[in-house]
Amino acid sequence: MTEVKKIVEKEVLMNGTQAVAYAAMYADVDVVAAYPIRPYTEVMDTISKLIADGELDAEFIVAEGEHGQFETVKHASLVGARTLVGSSGVGWLYAMEAIVVTATDRAPVVAIIGNRALDDPGAYGVEHNDALMVRDVGWLLAWVDTAQEAFDTTLIAYRVAEDQRVLLPVGISMDGGFLTHSEQIVRLPPKEIVKDFLPPYNRGKYLVHPDNPITVAPQVNEDWVMEIRRQHEEAMERARVVISEAYESFKKVFGRYPGSTGDIKMPENPFVEPFMIDDAEVVLIGMGTVSKPMKVAIKNMRKQGYKVGMLRIRWFRPFPTQDVIRYLSNARVVCVIDRDYSMGSPNRGGVVYHEIRSSLYDLDQRPKVLNFIGGLGGREITIQDVEKIIKIGYEHRDTPITKPVYWVGVRGDPW
Amino acid sequence: MEIEDQVKYVEITYRGIFQKRLAKYIAEGIVYTAREMGKPAVSFGRYGDSPERNGVPAKYYVGIGNGISEEDLIGYSTRVEPDLVDVIVVLDDTLLKGVESWAWQGVQPINLKLKPNGTMIVTSLKRIDELAKMVPKKEFNWTLGVIKTEPSFSGLWAFKDDLTMEKVWGAIAKLRPDIIDLDHLIKYVSKKSNADKRISAIKETYTSVEYRTIVKNEGIDFLYNPPRLLTWQEMLEGTVIPAVPRGKRNEQFKRGTTKFERPTVDFDTCIKCRLCWIYCPDECFDETPDGYYDIAYDYCVGCGICAEVCPVKDCIVMVDESMFTDYRRPYEMWKENRVKYKEWLNKVRQARKERVYVPGLGR
Ligand code: SF4
Ligand code: SF4
Repeated sequence: MTEVKKIVEKEVLMNGTQAVAYAAMYADVDVVAAYPIRPYTEVMDTISKLIADGELDAEFIVAEGEHGQFETVKHASLVGARTLVGSSGVGWLYAMEAIVVTATDRAPVVAIIGNRALDDPGAYGVEHNDALMVRDVGWLLAWVDTAQEAFDTTLIAYRVAEDQRVLLPVGISMDGGFLTHSEQIVRLPPKEIVKDFLPPYNRGKYLVHPDNPITVAPQVNEDWVMEIRRQHEEAMERARVVISEAYESFKKVFGRYPGSTGDIKMPENPFVEPFMIDDAEVVLIGMGTVSKPMKVAIKNMRKQGYKVGMLRIRWFRPFPTQDVIRYLSNARVVCVIDRDYSMGSPNRGGVVYHEIRSSLYDLDQRPKVLNFIGGLGGREITIQDVEKIIKIGYEHRDTPITKPVYWVGVRGDPW
Repeated sequence: MEIEDQVKYVEITYRGIFQKRLAKYIAEGIVYTAREMGKPAVSFGRYGDSPERNGVPAKYYVGIGNGISEEDLIGYSTRVEPDLVDVIVVLDDTLLKGVESWAWQGVQPINLKLKPNGTMIVTSLKRIDELAKMVPKKEFNWTLGVIKTEPSFSGLWAFKDDLTMEKVWGAIAKLRPDIIDLDHLIKYVSKKSNADKRISAIKETYTSVEYRTIVKNEGIDFLYNPPRLLTWQEMLEGTVIPAVPRGKRNEQFKRGTTKFERPTVDFDTCIKCRLCWIYCPDECFDETPDGYYDIAYDYCVGCGICAEVCPVKDCIVMVDESMFTDYRRPYEMWKENRVKYKEWLNKVRQARKERVYVPGLGR
């Protein structure tokens, strides 16, 4: 048991994007590159005001588009600047070339992704496919579900990304609208103690500097590719350890577990948030704010005798395979709610669903896995929807699965 | 306990970009005051088209918990919109004519989600009885309150404080002390800068806000038929919308609720130059057989471009949207009775009030 300090936190009303901007200010970022697109934009609104008000001394660069925006922070990061960047939906994709090389060049950029449906049609609501586009290219990816968690995870992101065992970019995803535009009370710790948690950014031998003459990302022999990928994968694996250390350290320095606040208690696991899971026969899985109606529905259904729990994925990359196995091996049915879709995928389902199925495959006693595609483009997944999902899951405790994937509330399919 | 008892919701309807920050800060004050009262509270902004676009009706919500945890409150409030609300704040009286909600659900009555015995507070220079004639009927009694003030533009880009925020809080404290009460409101505001000025604005509205019960079935008929949205089997594939026949418009894409002013045309002075037809960004003008240009007001966003480009002085004049009770086409009216039309035109144009969009006056 680590000793927990008593510190006084200030309570401020913030939405998810403001919380990220404040955390970046606490982290004393050096370079911010901005380009607007809803719903992430308020991160940049907020941080530009913090700079204008003299709260933060940083370069604020408005790029000519997302590609330039992400190139800017990549280069700044390589020369030792702590950076903040972000985007949403197709803006994030427009920067994809820069985003991919940010990971390959091992620049520990922190980006905030205000999840938004990919066009067409132009829609501002949440869908997770935008962030998931980078799931295979070496970014660490976290999903947060409250403004507090957005604040805390941003500080953690800098610490993990910049650790010399890792040096990888981090994407912090938050649901457009449901978190980017929703204000909740955030507990802000005293700014001075952040340095106890977050050391200065030090690239060591990888710093691009006249005193350290190196070149990053030259055009080299294509025969280097496999080795570079292999190293990258090792760094991804080391990140698991570094993430765990960061959460422990956060608790020590700030006196509470990341994401926890007065009313909201967070179980001490960096990668997943288990909820009422110990004796659960049916376990729901989701990422982001869908956990909120999920929890209410679970409490409601528990009162009616349903043994149901939840596992929220907090870090999607690296994927918490061991935690998934640990928490799900006793469940009889797992219901994965995907706010995304993988077109033409093996079971015609969502991305998270396939990752969960894959994680469980080697178990001798596998739970059944159902998939619920819902909330695409910002549509609601209501408490009633979740209660229905629980009932469907419960019905399959003893009956075989004939239909693995359901579309929640799509016009034209029965729901 | 039902959810309705556990969570109270305030809806703030505002005009996109002009009032975005204003709406957000009003919500913020309610949240902080509720917390002074020992209740968890959250707020969330929602929009149909885009709160960044000129005049588009958009909404902010506050959820206040009664005897539930903050976590459960967030659980209930992770919504696009609550089903029912206790208080509706309307930051511009022309919004009384209907708003579009999230995702093209059609033009909805302003008080669609009001709970029985709920409260709606409007900022307006009109008298309460004039407003009562514009509000959509409900099946139950409810309270209408009026804060006598010009619609504020203080949320445009940089927030300039014109004390509209304080007036709205004061009105809620008066009419709905169960949401926020005066003592706690003042306690919260006294921590802010210019507290004295703010508190006096709150107290002034608290004592002066005009209100009365709107009884069951008082007001106008506002038939709201939510459009039937197509199923995935019925839609054309690939985000395709079929063209409407020439001379018709797509019923699903009306944009009329964006406007707080609308153009009036003096057909007696029109020289048929066609500029209005060419310039209107929403293609509201239709050529008539005799070469005039009639307007489909349902689609007009009130941008005023037609009035700007029309070369004839006072041929097209923008007038306050709240002068209108329907969307009848002006050319039709003119054809029907030219004398009456002219009289009507003079009347609405005389009543035309340039709004005072000067923030910071504290009026
Ligand atoms: S104000 Fe005039 S130009 Fe603008 S949309 Fe309406 S009719 Fe068209
Ligand atoms: S711009 Fe004015 S004068 Fe020209 S056609 Fe239109 S209304 Fe008539």
